[in-house]
Amino acid sequence: MNTAVSTMEFLRPATLAEALETKAAHPEAVPLAGGTDLMVELNFDRRRPPALLDLTRITELAEWSEVDGHIRIGATVPYARIITELGSRLPGLAMAARTVGSPQIRNRGTLGGNLGSASPAGDGHPPLLAGHATVELASVRGSRRVPVDAFFLGPKRSVVEPDELVVAVRVPPATGPQQFAKVGPRNAMVIAVCAFALALHPENGTVGTGIGSAGPTPLRARDAEEFLAAELDWAGGRPLPEGVAERFGELVAAAARPIDDVRGTAAYRGHALAVLARRTLTWAWRDHTGRGSCG
Amino acid sequence: MTTGLTRPDGPAKLTGTAHYAADADTSDALAAALVTTTVPNGRLTALHTADAEAAPGVVRVLTRADLPPLGELSTPPLGFPVPPLLEDTVHHEGEPIAVVLAETWEQARHAATLVRAEYADVTPAVPFGQAEDVVPHGGLVFGETDESKGDVTAGLAAADVSVTATYTTADRHHSPIEPHATLARWDGDQLVLHSSVQSVLFAQAALAALFGVPPENVRVFCPFVGGGFGCKGFVWPHIPLAAAAARVTGRPVKLVLTRAQMFTLAGHQPATRQTVSLGATSDGRLTALRHTSSNASAQLGDYCENTPHGSTWMYASPAIETSTRIQRLHRPGPTPMRSPHEGPGMFALESAMDELAHELGMDPVELRLRNEPEVDPLTGEPFSSRKLVECLREGARRFGWSERNPEIGSMRDGHELIGWGMAAATMDSPRSPSSARLRIDHTGHVVVETGMQEIGTGLPAMVQAVAAETLGCPPEDVAVRHGDSDFPPHTGTFGSMSTMGLGSAVRAAAESALEKLGAEPGDPLAGALAEAGLTELESEGRWSPEGGGMTRGRTGGYSIHTYGSIFVEVRVDPDLGLLRMSRAVGVYAGGRILNPLAARSQMIGGITWGYGQAVLEQSVFEPNLGRFLSKNLAGYIVPVNADIGEIDVSFVDDDDRVASAIGAKGIGELGAVGVSAAIANAVFHATGRRVRDLPIRIHHLLP
Ligand SMILES: Cc1cc2nc3c(=O)[nH]c(=O)nc-3n(C[C@H](O)[C@H](O)[C@H](O)COP(=O)(O)OP(=O)(O)OC[C@H]3O[C@@H](n4cnc5c(N)ncnc54)[C@H](O)[C@@H]3O)c2cc1C
Repeated sequence: MNTAVSTMEFLRPATLAEALETKAAHPEAVPLAGGTDLMVELNFDRRRPPALLDLTRITELAEWSEVDGHIRIGATVPYARIITELGSRLPGLAMAARTVGSPQIRNRGTLGGNLGSASPAGDGHPPLLAGHATVELASVRGSRRVPVDAFFLGPKRSVVEPDELVVAVRVPPATGPQQFAKVGPRNAMVIAVCAFALALHPENGTVGTGIGSAGPTPLRARDAEEFLAAELDWAGGRPLPEGVAERFGELVAAAARPIDDVRGTAAYRGHALAVLARRTLTWAWRDHTGRGSCG
Repeated sequence: MTTGLTRPDGPAKLTGTAHYAADADTSDALAAALVTTTVPNGRLTALHTADAEAAPGVVRVLTRADLPPLGELSTPPLGFPVPPLLEDTVHHEGEPIAVVLAETWEQARHAATLVRAEYADVTPAVPFGQAEDVVPHGGLVFGETDESKGDVTAGLAAADVSVTATYTTADRHHSPIEPHATLARWDGDQLVLHSSVQSVLFAQAALAALFGVPPENVRVFCPFVGGGFGCKGFVWPHIPLAAAAARVTGRPVKLVLTRAQMFTLAGHQPATRQTVSLGATSDGRLTALRHTSSNASAQLGDYCENTPHGSTWMYASPAIETSTRIQRLHRPGPTPMRSPHEGPGMFALESAMDELAHELGMDPVELRLRNEPEVDPLTGEPFSSRKLVECLREGARRFGWSERNPEIGSMRDGHELIGWGMAAATMDSPRSPSSARLRIDHTGHVVVETGMQEIGTGLPAMVQAVAAETLGCPPEDVAVRHGDSDFPPHTGTFGSMSTMGLGSAVRAAAESALEKLGAEPGDPLAGALAEAGLTELESEGRWSPEGGGMTRGRTGGYSIHTYGSIFVEVRVDPDLGLLRMSRAVGVYAGGRILNPLAARSQMIGGITWGYGQAVLEQSVFEPNLGRFLSKNLAGYIVPVNADIGEIDVSFVDDDDRVASAIGAKGIGELGAVGVSAAIANAVFHATGRRVRDLPIRIHHLLP
């Protein structure tokens, strides 16, 4: 076609090795997975990259497997498969995946793309934080693993180098209850006003948290995690002591660094996070004690 | 059990073979993209088109100097009063100033970004509420701006209890899935248009007048519309621009509006501010009703949202006073949107009735029953049919209203507060002429032709139902062809008018066919034709309200309106300020229901539409930018399936032979009326918060 105003190359590697070589040779090439973020940006003319690097032919990226006791989810596994195939082993991630967009978006959209966009509102991020996931990055220089809480640098910025691709995320399978909750004006197709993920890890008596849409990056609430881990009666499964859920909520809200924007005010976000934290804790602890101690 | 006819056009739509305007064959067409103003007012002082003209694929960039002379025309049929490109004055952001024509759509859109405009005298846009309220004039004022009877001031003074409150509704955009699209092709002085419009008749008349050719020289095709909700009723600027571009270049031109342009070039429902005062005796009889309104309007056209209209016929009151004004602002032109006038207006009236019931300590259903009028309260004329009481009683029964604990905040489920609220619904019944041609072939197969567009409401099935009922043949034997201006004219698929007009016309055509054959309903048609020695029979049917033209609900000595009741359950999460509607019961009196299946779908859609008005839909007008802030469906959010709980729709027996020959009235807009008031009333029941501003948002509900 003669449409070319500024041409855009479309690169279609068949293997990961080829993709990494292409990325090294064309660091300005923008990876394309499900396209549910990227195509919107192109459509709105927010960016015009000189080249797209299509990852959808690379079968290695489109599978999940078990490696060293972790679940390793390839970067281009869509949300729909995370829900149906990993729902029982990674319940927090699957709950978050169920809230993403619509069936069409869940069929196309991927965790690799969510991480690639590195939006503070990405719904995949809070459960990855709470679940102590690591992100596997690769380039022709080799591969490296980054704990997900060190992955994000700022709004839409991450540690991914220009010649690197997100290859997979590794998440330990759940050993205790996990929850995810999201606030938005409608029940589907909604960018979170704020979101919160909680994972209880009874095998080592720790707690994981993840905050979405309430800071420049997805965040962990470390003080809240430590506080709660110490308060919970992991072995005995006694009910939550008076005031613990409230304090946990306060500490989660304190960890957020929200701003006012069109979707909500900073004050509301802090308030709502405290509510979500209390609720998810109540549900998770009921699950935990209801079926005795796991792990 | 709901029974009725499934739509004959369903398979074509599901399999993608139904042709919409932009599907028309365009192998030789130029693609057009509009360049629009980026400021809300001032003057256009220069347009630089050289870069765009030099861009790949661009054939021409049209500005005012290139346009053929256009005739003068009023609103309606025009949506916005000035024909596009003709003035230097900027009336609103997003107004067309040039048309880029290129070989492909992408090239045209890209080149449109290269046109540079210069402006002078641009000032900040005055927001709604800060301009003067003025009396509107012209063709976009529907009904009277001021009406009254009795002495409202005295009635309020004499009342035992009175309430006065101000309510606001938001700017809303129709947002059909199919954007406006037009393909224009000239052959000499003959123009062919494929255009997504709610009236091929309006488009034909408008284009003929603008281009100075007789109407029969303009042929408009539009069998299917992918949603309109009012934004395709009038003729918006892109249609004449596509035709002008085709005329100038001698090539067919296809112009599809972008989603963003749908927010500035096809109308919207304007924000309103309304004040209602009600006075009543202690036993709940109204002594006075006053309803005043103002809406945001454009610089030109004076579009008026006649929100108090319904207040003049809803309730018996010795004194009634209404007035409606507009503010002329630098913003895009508003237009009727499902459901105009009564949609925003009944939010105010039915909220106020709830406030009054609360003040009186009276059940809100009972308050409405006590104020049921015998005759039209404003004119004293009889109702053609009015079954509001039946709707209220049946709605209350189906909903289980008698179980309601009137105490605020008395119903809870876990961390959610539950509220039950209700409202009455009404719509005016505008009516308009329609016609149809019916042919029967020697096998007994029937074809009906009409200029109507199928807009998603199921009109072809309605035509089948009426033809089959009149002829006494199976509905499957009737094929319906529609959406061509060469077919017998139908005024338009807007204003909830189509079933009345077209249904009556089809019936007339079918009756005339039987008469010509000397046959009775149910006689085998093939046999009747053979007996009459015919291989084919053709008949035409026409229908129009008294006077022959378009009328409003108060005509011919009658008060003609539709009615309904809506009961809802809401769940409020008070900690998070979230609101959802878990259950709705709607009971309607909309004349004879010809196809219960399609009618039910209309009402489910209407209730969902009303939920959107209540909870989600708001276009924010940004005064500093002088434009609507989010011109896309990520920023302008509408309900999704997952938001909508159980909806129970039913109809009471109604048959209105004054409204139409077939006893039908219009129901397309009725379902969306009253929902927002019922939801706000339910929120009050749940939380004690009286929310008078739509949409109801988080901050309204937080502690
Ligand atoms: C209608 C709609 C609704 C949505 N709803 C939600 C929602 O509810 N919650 C939510 O979180 N998101 C939502 N999104 C955003 C989007 O669907 C998600 O962010 C999704 O995870 C993106 O994945 P993708 O595969 O489509 O990414 P793409 O669009 O293909 O890519 C996104 C970005 O990541 C980069 N990228 C992709 N893969 C890699 C990789 N392997 N290595 C490095 N960089 C990579 C791309 O270059 C691009 O910058 C929605 C989007 C739409 C259009």
